[in-house]
Amino acid sequence: MITDKETYLDIIKNGNLVGVPPEQMLLHGPTKRYVDKYLWHSPNKGIVARYSPTERDVEDHFGIFRGVDQVEAFAQASTVSCATFLECRKLNCTPAELKEMFIPAFISIGNVNFYNYLEYGDTFVCLGNITFYKWRQMACNGRIYKVPRGFDLDSYFSDFTEERLLKYDISKDFIQVAELFDITGRAIKIELFKKPE
Amino acid sequence: MERQEILDGLIEVLKTIRTIDPERLVGVTEETDFLTDLSTPSTELINIAAKVEHKFDIEFDDDDIDHMGSKVKDIIDLIIMVKARGENE
Repeated sequence: MITDKETYLDIIKNGNLVGVPPEQMLLHGPTKRYVDKYLWHSPNKGIVARYSPTERDVEDHFGIFRGVDQVEAFAQASTVSCATFLECRKLNCTPAELKEMFIPAFISIGNVNFYNYLEYGDTFVCLGNITFYKWRQMACNGRIYKVPRGFDLDSYFSDFTEERLLKYDISKDFIQVAELFDITGRAIKIELFKKPE
Repeated sequence: MERQEILDGLIEVLKTIRTIDPERLVGVTEETDFLTDLSTPSTELINIAAKVEHKFDIEFDDDDIDHMGSKVKDIIDLIIMVKARGENE
């Protein structure tokens, strides 16, 4: 945990999300937070994050992590995390302070194609690249890959690059589970979000 | 800049938006609603705003977009307001 605000602001201003606990960036949860760790992050380009579905995540669904939750996991890892980081950088504030002003909302989901499945015990990575960011709205494309058990993801992604992200240049041992397009979210002012009809 | 001139420029922008049926642009007025009359996807409003910036050489703030309505007249009002703001700066 990052307990010192100045340290956190310095990370936001000069660093990236690697090493930041997801619970300090994604302020909902814990049961519906689908990011365990940020593995690679280039603030204006994209991100790689991992998650392992829990027993609760697959309960009442054949032991399978739902497709709709894959979309949610990808959105949390990419659009929400990356946009929150950039907005905090812009406003020089922490996510907790941002939460007092804005609510992250889905705007739209483009095409999503599924190629495989994820079950309890699996670990997957979301590779998201930012295709649009303006006026607090962000869109990301990307892929979800199932990772071989025991694979050292920290080491593998320690020297990852933007070029490799855009080409999805990763190990052949990873199994593609899904490809997602135009996953779009926007930080909406709380007073507008709760505005009566 | 007169409102009609802005409307004409806005229609030129809308002709470049892939998700808007060109036939629906015939008879567009200030009361036309992007969402209900033109069936514009919600994400497209942001793309329209980006193209409007370029067309009219203006720059919207985050707050401008927050308060942008879904009717043609809302965007025309916004363009006039942002142009005036730019002239006063």
